[in-house]
Amino acid sequence: MNDFWLQLESHPLAAEIGATAWFPLMESLHVLCICVLLGAIVMVDLRVLGLAALRYPVQDLVRELVPWAAGAFVFANVTGLAMFITRASAHVQNPAFQTKMGLLLLAGMNIALFHFRALPAMLPSVNGGASPKLARCTAGLSLLLWCAIMLAGRWVGHVV
Amino acid sequence: MLSGGLFHLAKPQVEQVQGACTMTSGLSDLLADSAFGRLAEFLLSSVPGMPPILQTLHLLSICAIMASAVFVSLRILGLAVPSQQVSEMVQRLQPWTWYGVAGAFVSGVWFVLARPERYFDNPVFQIKFTLLFFAILFSVMLYRSGPGEPAARQIPTKQHVSARLLAGGVLLLWIAVLLAGRWIAYAEYLFW
Repeated sequence: MNDFWLQLESHPLAAEIGATAWFPLMESLHVLCICVLLGAIVMVDLRVLGLAALRYPVQDLVRELVPWAAGAFVFANVTGLAMFITRASAHVQNPAFQTKMGLLLLAGMNIALFHFRALPAMLPSVNGGASPKLARCTAGLSLLLWCAIMLAGRWVGHVV
Repeated sequence: MLSGGLFHLAKPQVEQVQGACTMTSGLSDLLADSAFGRLAEFLLSSVPGMPPILQTLHLLSICAIMASAVFVSLRILGLAVPSQQVSEMVQRLQPWTWYGVAGAFVSGVWFVLARPERYFDNPVFQIKFTLLFFAILFSVMLYRSGPGEPAARQIPTKQHVSARLLAGGVLLLWIAVLLAGRWIAYAEYLFW
């Protein structure tokens, strides 16, 4: 398996990114994506928790903000992958990177729980009212997980 | 110490900024030797995890700016959250922009205090703060102008056009500040 990561690292594309201004370009765009992603998703989470934007139904915020978060997530993956391949074998052994990937998996499961269980159970007409317990739990968990993912991601660069 | 700050910038075009450079070197030394400078240095080098924790708080502050100033701008430009009212968004989200700016300052200043010469002599840092000045100025102007709802398909009025221009400026400036912030560590790709 380690051979695979080493091979990935020695790909001309990885070498090109790692040795040029492509790396900081990808990294700065990665940060932009993450800030848009969290900015959008935190607004949804705070609404579901009943802490902000109470005049709008949860469904409206989900419909209008989740696509921004999803788009930013896709682009964060592209830019993240571009950085990952430059030091693939080191990253897979980096505890901060491993933690980040584990937390991302949990965040994905939490998202599925919210969209397939909690959200359909919420009445569209409920304006400003408290969300059901499951929805509030997933929103709180989402806040915690995304902050932790951000911290773990930032920590990746400090483990050398 | 002082000459070190001067000479690592050795390049022909530097001559014209040499005066400014001497001044920032003096300020750098003053800050680094101050009690705050030494505290920052101690916190960042001795407390485990301090740098990534502070950087994450810095990023979360930027998220607040994205969610407020940037989304208000996107709304005015007709690109996001169509069900929300511009005037209501401004009222609700404006404080978040200033919490974000304050949070970014409190979490970021330690890095400057600990190693002032790394920042004051860095052209990307200077660019970032110039952009930041205009981002804040334009955001204040946008919020103060009390932007109305964007014209839907009718002929936009003069006010709509100016609100859109301002919103476009706010949007691009905050994105540029964010990108410039990350490029501080990579100034050598752009300069020298």
